[in-house]
Amino acid sequence: MSVTSVEFIFLLLVCGAFFFQLPGRRSRLAAFSVANALVLALLIPNLASLAALSVFLLSGYGVAMLLARRPSSLLLTGYLAALVATFLVLKRYEFIGLVLPMSLIQHPIDIIGLSYMLFRQIHFLVDAMQGQIEGGTLPAYLNYQLNLFGILSGPIQRFQDFHEFWQTPQPLLKDRHELLKAILRINLGVLKLAAIGAMCFYAYDVSSSTLEQVARGFIVEMPMSRKLIYFAIMFYALPAHMYFNFSGYCDIVIGGALLLGIRMPENFDQPYLARNMIDYWNRFHRSLSHWIRDYIFMPLYKSAVERTPTLAEPLSILFMFVALFLAGVWHGSTLNWVAFGMLNGIGVATAKLWELLIVRARGRQGLKTYMKSSGVRLAAIAVNLNFACLTYLFFPTDMARTFRILNAMVGGSWPS
Amino acid sequence: MDEIREQAQEVFHDVFGDTDLVLRDDMTADDVDGWDSTAHINLIVALEKHFGVKFAMAEISRMKDEDQNVGGLLQLIAKKLGRSG
Repeated sequence: MSVTSVEFIFLLLVCGAFFFQLPGRRSRLAAFSVANALVLALLIPNLASLAALSVFLLSGYGVAMLLARRPSSLLLTGYLAALVATFLVLKRYEFIGLVLPMSLIQHPIDIIGLSYMLFRQIHFLVDAMQGQIEGGTLPAYLNYQLNLFGILSGPIQRFQDFHEFWQTPQPLLKDRHELLKAILRINLGVLKLAAIGAMCFYAYDVSSSTLEQVARGFIVEMPMSRKLIYFAIMFYALPAHMYFNFSGYCDIVIGGALLLGIRMPENFDQPYLARNMIDYWNRFHRSLSHWIRDYIFMPLYKSAVERTPTLAEPLSILFMFVALFLAGVWHGSTLNWVAFGMLNGIGVATAKLWELLIVRARGRQGLKTYMKSSGVRLAAIAVNLNFACLTYLFFPTDMARTFRILNAMVGGSWPS
Repeated sequence: MDEIREQAQEVFHDVFGDTDLVLRDDMTADDVDGWDSTAHINLIVALEKHFGVKFAMAEISRMKDEDQNVGGLLQLIAKKLGRSG
């Protein structure tokens, strides 16, 4: 069942209408748990996947409880290494074939939303070890991981925020106006995902297919001006599709969660108006970038500030690259994601380096003046928008196709 | 609490290189020039060193949330030092 289907939206509204008619905390949590189990049942294709998911989640919970009682960096590191290795095998990352037998990734296990579960699990483990998890019972943890509003594609919620709902499942929407706003948001999400996003994808599909036909020689004559028009449509339509599709999905799940008294984190804030790639990742898929900031960048940088303060500033550029590179690679198991990650890593590292250079040349006050200039802002938005769109050339998994199209644009011929 | 605020203000001056900065409870990261992710960690490390406390990663990241402010940070320091707000 698709999140934009009439059936899903109808079920969401019916559940929202009756959820708080249930008396007391226990019955509400029981209903929520049943709903999560039903959604999971729809997503799990076979028993092997269910068994693998159970081991994945229960081992994480068990280790988190051990760490909460007896903090151990060694245990945390060892378990995280095993967890990430298991994740790479379960997700069938291609590069595993370079170091391990390919048969290892030929398994029947398919767990939708595993990447997001990995993020939530790492957060739960680290926070449990640092004494930041309260009320982390097994039912709370399992429902946090399998929350139907975040299981498919996030947003990545913190356990502490989920626990507020789990502790006291009460209505969040204060009046009729707020209720209508939540329902409007769900409808707007459907419109963005199913109509605008789909139209953008159609434009991308038609333009990229046409250019590929040129690249393969099926269309012999096409003037450069027309090729450029097709390329421009392809270049901008995929990022537009990504935004409308994903933010539309988030509108539906955030609005739906509000009906049941759950506040999911916001995930988008006008990303294509960002002035650099750091700003962009603070606006696009924010719950992912905040997770990367909190669990990759900040620990690395904090360690550098504590151990080698004089090198911390240049190292911050390297850490930003590493963090965004990993974020790119996390998106998928094929080589195009390495290119996508590299470009995003280069984008954020360059933005940080540029800022440091301005501070060095003109001081903090100079940076302030620079940031306030509306001309600079407009130019920065335009440059960043095009760079962000450039990264999306490597979003489709077929890299050979991307290069065929790029080659056709510069007039080259592609060996058939 | 006033003593903590005064000492924290000195740390802020050092980290952000702005001796005119006056800490207010309702102040957020957006109100201070240059309070980005790297400056945030520089500030945290400096506060940890100055007050002899340790912040958990969840506390450090929570401080960057839009609904968090300097007042909350000072209260957290006071709590870690075993002093009431």
